[in-house]
Amino acid sequence: MVLGADRYATRGDTLVFLSTLALSLIAMSLPPGLRDPVASGLRRSILWPFLQLQTQSEELRISRTRLVQVTAARDSAALAATFLGELRAENTRLRDLLGLRARLGSRFVPAEVLHQASPTDPLTVVISAGARQGVQPLAPVVAPEGLLGIVSVADGSTSVVATWAHPEFRASGMAADGSVYGILSPRGTAGPGGWVLVLEGVPYRQRVPFGTVILTSGLGGVLPRGIPVGTVIAVAGETGWERTYLVRPAVPPGAVTHVMVLVEPGAGDLRPAFEPDSGGAQP
Amino acid sequence: MRRGDVLRFWGVLVLLVVLQFSLRSRLGNERVAPDFLLLALLIYTIRARPGASAAAGFLVGLLSDALTPASFGAGALAHAIVGYLSSWAKAVFFAENLLVNGGLFFVGTWLRNVILAVASGKLAGPQMTWELLVWSPLEGVTTAAAGVLVLMVFRQWLAIRLEQT
Repeated sequence: MVLGADRYATRGDTLVFLSTLALSLIAMSLPPGLRDPVASGLRRSILWPFLQLQTQSEELRISRTRLVQVTAARDSAALAATFLGELRAENTRLRDLLGLRARLGSRFVPAEVLHQASPTDPLTVVISAGARQGVQPLAPVVAPEGLLGIVSVADGSTSVVATWAHPEFRASGMAADGSVYGILSPRGTAGPGGWVLVLEGVPYRQRVPFGTVILTSGLGGVLPRGIPVGTVIAVAGETGWERTYLVRPAVPPGAVTHVMVLVEPGAGDLRPAFEPDSGGAQP
Repeated sequence: MRRGDVLRFWGVLVLLVVLQFSLRSRLGNERVAPDFLLLALLIYTIRARPGASAAAGFLVGLLSDALTPASFGAGALAHAIVGYLSSWAKAVFFAENLLVNGGLFFVGTWLRNVILAVASGKLAGPQMTWELLVWSPLEGVTTAAAGVLVLMVFRQWLAIRLEQT
């Protein structure tokens, strides 16, 4: 390493600088087929220990938060332990009765979101679960509130998720009652942290009341039916035969910390799993 | 620099990298929390030649891009430019002063985000406005504050002469 306090740029410095600019431009112009293996290789080699460190740090943070909750619940648990056997049997009966797993119809892998310091972080995020845990590309990624995005690249122990805010994201959406269908895509921001979606292609004669919850329709075969995406908040525009609605997303990609990857989504309707009292989608 | 000084210098940079992946997520909003990785680069550029700073910036940016593939290449470009300009500007214009260094960290963070946002082509309209006028300046302030703190604590290890303001 050459360290010197007082120096100006020499011809060699300028040459190195121009070379880095050229390499950067080449990197930017790489097609996804070449770009993804390079990025994946870096995550699996140089960045692997740092991603492990970030994962451990996130888990530690969660552990401390939960410790407080556990401590607070300890006294209640001690009392409840008196009836533990009875409670366990009742719980088993209720779970069987409710058919929670059948309703979810999916096997899922929990993961932490490893946010990075970049303005484009909400577009693609790294999560702490990868191919070793069964994560595959195109697997839906959900938070308890709804859809975050889909897996674009699955490495060994991490994955890259293209969130709904990514410019290339598209999904078929429908009103919660199934009366209206349209195409969901990201559209800018409505405030400092408020990225929004639009629901396009809704026939002009069909009105969608504000506050309507928009779910994935299941059309297309990638995202299962019934995952909440957001809530209609305004009309964004009207053309000759269609209306476009603004949708406030259910999951803010820049703030979400824990997600589930649906590794076997199945063809069922996931709507019941996201209903407030079902508990089926809690990671 | 003597061998011991070099080791201590690199020790501080490694510490900042570790903080990036361990502490940063605990410092509140991710978009405002200090960027320790960029801070390590900027501290490196204070002492290094512009060419080496550009190369270091390129590598840091490329690693950053691997974690945010939506802007692959844009981070390398932004960090290389910021690294080169920081090192060059330090040599030509700036005195070794704590506040000046703080200003360098602020401007470096903001400029990095501007170049990254523009070069990635993924942000536009109100998104770009909010990013450049709200989030990036706030991140610049926290990064500058962290940088000034690091310089004050480790000024001997970093072998940086800090004049009184």
